[in-house]
Amino acid sequence: MRRWDLFCTVVDNFGDIGTCWRLARQLSDEHRIDVRLWVDQLDSFARLCPAISTVAAVQHVNGIEVRHWSSDFPKVDAADVVIEAFACELPATYVSAMADRSVPPVWINLEYLSAEAWVEDCQGLPSPQARPSLKKYFFFPGFTAKTGGLLRERDLMCRRAAFDTAAQSAFWKSLGIQVMAPDSRSDEVRDGLPSRDELRVSLFCYENPALPDLLECWSNGSAPVRVLVSPGAASKQVSDWLGEPLAPGLLRRRASLTVQALPFLPQAEYDQLLWTCDLNFVRGEDSFVRAQWALRPFVWQIYPQAENAHLVKLEAFLIRYLEGFQDSAVVRRCWQAWNGCGDIQTAWRDFVANRQSIERHNKDWAGQLDRLGDLADNLVKFVSAS
Amino acid sequence: MSVKIAGELQSGNVIIVDNVPVIVLKAQYNKSGRNAAVVKLRMKNLMTNRISESVVKADDKLEGVMLEKKECTYSYYAPPAHVFVDSEFNQYEIDAESISDLEKYLVPDMTDVCEVTFYEGRPISVVLPKIIVREVEYTEPVVRGDTSGKITKSAILKDSKHELQVTQFVEIGDKIEIDTETGEFRRRCN
Repeated sequence: MRRWDLFCTVVDNFGDIGTCWRLARQLSDEHRIDVRLWVDQLDSFARLCPAISTVAAVQHVNGIEVRHWSSDFPKVDAADVVIEAFACELPATYVSAMADRSVPPVWINLEYLSAEAWVEDCQGLPSPQARPSLKKYFFFPGFTAKTGGLLRERDLMCRRAAFDTAAQSAFWKSLGIQVMAPDSRSDEVRDGLPSRDELRVSLFCYENPALPDLLECWSNGSAPVRVLVSPGAASKQVSDWLGEPLAPGLLRRRASLTVQALPFLPQAEYDQLLWTCDLNFVRGEDSFVRAQWALRPFVWQIYPQAENAHLVKLEAFLIRYLEGFQDSAVVRRCWQAWNGCGDIQTAWRDFVANRQSIERHNKDWAGQLDRLGDLADNLVKFVSAS
Repeated sequence: MSVKIAGELQSGNVIIVDNVPVIVLKAQYNKSGRNAAVVKLRMKNLMTNRISESVVKADDKLEGVMLEKKECTYSYYAPPAHVFVDSEFNQYEIDAESISDLEKYLVPDMTDVCEVTFYEGRPISVVLPKIIVREVEYTEPVVRGDTSGKITKSAILKDSKHELQVTQFVEIGDKIEIDTETGEFRRRCN
């Protein structure tokens, strides 16, 4: 089982390719597996990993063969293990190549992350296929021992621990992040690190109706807040609220609030941002998982779904995550408000007031998750047993 | 043969899996990510009677089987099968395990007209009428002045001894309507 093909379609945003790229690197680096990663949108991929060429049909990056998955799919031999990420549809010619092998490949559908109980019942089950010689299995990431766990590189926590004050200073500087003198009222950029008496918040979100109220709250609050805004929906909404453009390197100030736009960060740097900020707003799946390993207090915006199906999933996670935590009501209110159910301003004030106990809880929570083993490792074991 | 969309599968449907007919015993629909969904299937192989579980994407297309259906009435239990009779007094035995969800409503010589499904001449599943009437054998009497706020109570059906929730005013000996799809009490008949 040395050759694996991993298929990824970028439906929207960066979560799909973000997860697939992490998995591909772990399989290659930690399990010495020959990985061929098929991606339909190299532009999105290149933003996460600048070493990626957006035009090459075939390229090798970090020991992984990256193939552009175009509509004109080439004739290739099927690998020993085939992973379709997030239920993407494999090319028909490739499925034929799988059926043509003398020993059929292990075929895995890597599913979306959910904390709901039904995931445990479906984990690892086979899925009937039109070609009886082929067997596909569903593999679910998750938060319990009966699921596949979460992606986590073996050295992640060591790297986080080694990210000391000097490394953090270098990180801020590498981003070109400057700080204004506390008494400054201009947009003039001054050299130096963010001051230590301000709350540093990273912001990565989908378009969120609660964001203007939160910006208002930060602006009118007595404590200084520096919000580091990721490009995309968050940046656009903050810019609309400010009434002026926002671009990487630009600094805007409204009373107690300082807004600083970030460039698109590759994965390693985004991790460092999560480690360095006092508090993180994350969204979707990939940044949500990384925020849990970052140990800092975080607020999750779940991917919105029809018929409010996402609220059921949000609640399922909150139940698991907050079990036994004395300040659970504070976290629940803030997360619900951020996802459209409640007043974000009141919820935020309670949340930030309790951030130290939330951070302690997050360390315990990450410890629980760590004991599940990581997804790549669990996947390799599952494939071997299949 | 026909095409069945996985998300529309129900218990009693027969599909072809690995060239073998299987009957769906239970189909559990769950919303996954990005408005997608998966369906967990509990199935019985009609050739070997082996039970298995699978999961499919809700939009997967599966090969369905056109089946013959006949109106029958329930007659009696002859372990390990239940016996049904058609209008020409032909008897059909159906493995009890295949219709275990319905056993709570089966009463010897009941008059409800059921729909029996056949695969290659062999009876494999039964659908009861949506609404059936059964007699309450036991339920606690209403306590006058009860202010606990409870609006339902347990009742045990005659013959099958099946227990379900009914409204407070139902009494022993009452005939009640039951929805066989949801298993819920609908109303009192008399």
